[in-house]
Amino acid sequence: MRTLLRLIQKYSNLLLFLFLEAIAIVLIVRGSYYQQSRFIQMNRQVTGFLYDRVDGVREYLTLRKVNQRLVEENSRLKNRLELFSGQLDTTRVLRVEKGAYRYYYLPARIVHNSVYKQYNYITIDKGKKDGVFRDMGVVSEQGLVGIVLESSNHFATVIPAINRDFRLSAKILSSNFAGILYWDGDSPLYARLSEIPFHAELTVGDTIVTSGYSAIFPDGIGVGTIDAFSLERGNFYDIRVKLFTEFQSLFHVNVIRNYLREEQLQLEENTR
Amino acid sequence: MNMGIIARNIFRFIVLVLLQVLVLDNVMINGYMVPYVYLLFLLLMPFETPRWLQLVAGFLLGLSVDLFENTPGMHTAATVLVAFLRPHLLNLFAPRDGYEPETFPRVRYYGFYWFLKYTLAVVMIHHFALFYLEVFQLKDFFSTLLRVFLSSILSAATIVLSQFFVFRE
Repeated sequence: MRTLLRLIQKYSNLLLFLFLEAIAIVLIVRGSYYQQSRFIQMNRQVTGFLYDRVDGVREYLTLRKVNQRLVEENSRLKNRLELFSGQLDTTRVLRVEKGAYRYYYLPARIVHNSVYKQYNYITIDKGKKDGVFRDMGVVSEQGLVGIVLESSNHFATVIPAINRDFRLSAKILSSNFAGILYWDGDSPLYARLSEIPFHAELTVGDTIVTSGYSAIFPDGIGVGTIDAFSLERGNFYDIRVKLFTEFQSLFHVNVIRNYLREEQLQLEENTR
Repeated sequence: MNMGIIARNIFRFIVLVLLQVLVLDNVMINGYMVPYVYLLFLLLMPFETPRWLQLVAGFLLGLSVDLFENTPGMHTAATVLVAFLRPHLLNLFAPRDGYEPETFPRVRYYGFYWFLKYTLAVVMIHHFALFYLEVFQLKDFFSTLLRVFLSSILSAATIVLSQFFVFRE
């Protein structure tokens, strides 16, 4: 017994080291559960508040660039409005009924953002109280950003396209071939598109958009352009996509709420 | 005297964690590299600190950074490893007559070259553990190794420079 005690005493530091490392490893392995734990929810309120303050400064410093982008988007939207106004029948009374809006865009501000890690996350300043919940799409004025992972009362975390866990169905605009968009952890400027069959015709510069299959994003939200492609083992293309969204200088985003998502998922569930 | 050292270390802990998560995490070079300066806290802990306290301090340091960065336990694992190995590294780099009492592991006492060696060793070990845990696979072994080296150089350079400008005392 005494030798055992002496042994423990002798190796107490090693034991403490192993114990602390074990805690860390458990945290890493249970990573996804960790995201949901009550402790983290609480912590998110605190860090969200702190990041909120500091980002005010950062936001101010990039005002010029943000303004520029908003102006560009404004003009693009005006052009589209112009296009449609000719087709509008102004004699008919417009009825707005439930279900008429399929998608609703809610503006949000980014309070924390990381781009240089393998598993990047974004925190935005809208949460459950604003109607932001898990699996809602997030876009910027440039294009696709990511998907809401968790939300607390006033904040939500978003898993951006530049996270290794990110998966989304996306298609080539010109040919409608759909594949899986993912990130290889390499550069925050590029993502990858896989599972495009070999008989699809590709050109560098082709636009990639969301497919709308996932009920998260509407059809046709810009993702990026084809930067390079090669045939992987003969059957499928491996495509490098230059992303439209500049994640490094992102501040304003829109959260997309799909009012018909439950209905679609319910139907698909019943059919299965 | 002793209380003063403890208070100074707690203060340094808070300042470095806040500096790291609020300022330095937003500094990116090439979209790849971040200077992890919070390691300076472990580097500057007094020689006489009990080993269990070094381990616990390393654990708390990593956990704080993890909480802010939304990473599950990766920084914690890396900092605990560094805290465990630090006494051995200090022995390895010890001057011929050992470390004098009433001195601290700083440029002022043991010179620039000694501090650079010591910092590089600690930073390399930390980054190696951190980056490989982050990738959690050996597929991109060499590209990760490149990131470890580049980031280590950046972090070590920032830490050593900070000794001459900001954290002189």
